[in-house]
Amino acid sequence: MTTKAHSVQPPRIATWLVNLFATEDESMVGDLHEEFAQVGSRSGIGVARNWYWRQSLKTIADLVGGGFRSAPWSTLGATTTGFLLLRAAHWLPDKLLNVVTERYLMYWSNHFQAYLWLLNALFPAFLLTSLFTGCVVALIAKKREMIATMALGIVLCAMILFGYLSALAQTGDFNFLWNMPWAFSDPIAIILGGMVVRQFRLHAANLSVAKNEE
Amino acid sequence: MAGRDFLGEFEHLVVLALLRLEDRAYGVTVRQEIEFRTKREVSIGAVYATLDRLERKGYVKSRCGDPTPERGGRSKRFFRITAKGAMAVNRTQQALHNMSAGLELARSSS
Repeated sequence: MTTKAHSVQPPRIATWLVNLFATEDESMVGDLHEEFAQVGSRSGIGVARNWYWRQSLKTIADLVGGGFRSAPWSTLGATTTGFLLLRAAHWLPDKLLNVVTERYLMYWSNHFQAYLWLLNALFPAFLLTSLFTGCVVALIAKKREMIATMALGIVLCAMILFGYLSALAQTGDFNFLWNMPWAFSDPIAIILGGMVVRQFRLHAANLSVAKNEE
Repeated sequence: MAGRDFLGEFEHLVVLALLRLEDRAYGVTVRQEIEFRTKREVSIGAVYATLDRLERKGYVKSRCGDPTPERGGRSKRFFRITAKGAMAVNRTQQALHNMSAGLELARSSS
């Protein structure tokens, strides 16, 4: 049973999620792996997988809480900067697409095509702006990339929800709720930006460790 | 109160676990020791968040061990309490003792 437990890897998604929030020090993930092997030897792989997922989620919650408590002002600063940047850059995709459309209007056979291009490009352009904002927030927050981007994402989600609920209360019209899921794409893109920066940072840290070992 | 800090509840448990485990104290053993003695489920994240905080305060020191296969080739991080940490735990124990002296806790809680 022991050999089998050692040969079975713990859930990769759970490990990846823990790595997003953990410090660059690998010992915590090593501890989780070691206990996964112990629980697997004692109670079987199914129990060990359940244990691993439970521990990983609790660990992430504790790391988020601990990370925020240990540096509340820098996390808050990064989140506020991201919020202001998002507000300041909100006109940018619209403006850029207008410039592109006007410059290349002669290449379109008619104005309807230009309108379609604008309509299709606007959504990805806003997503890219949010992704960029997420990256900036993560860079400012240094080792607390995920905590800062998640905080900003939660603030935006709360604002979106509040906006929809107050519009619903004023109009009583449920029809506009169909596009509500799209409204949450901005906070998701911000958190993705945090993940991208975190992955780059982990990769850079691993490379420097490998170099030092050589 | 600088230099006269007391340990928080979970910090206190972690430091006592380090004292019990001596040179075997790393994430897994600390987590299991607290879970075994307090019968309370503890996450490895909570243990590390607390140990990192205690290390920043200068109450504990850490060193890296060798990587092992069952840890996916990752090394252990061993922790030990410093003289400053020992003073903090003594101060906290003394404060708790002073506060509970003369109280019949079992009777007063019933």
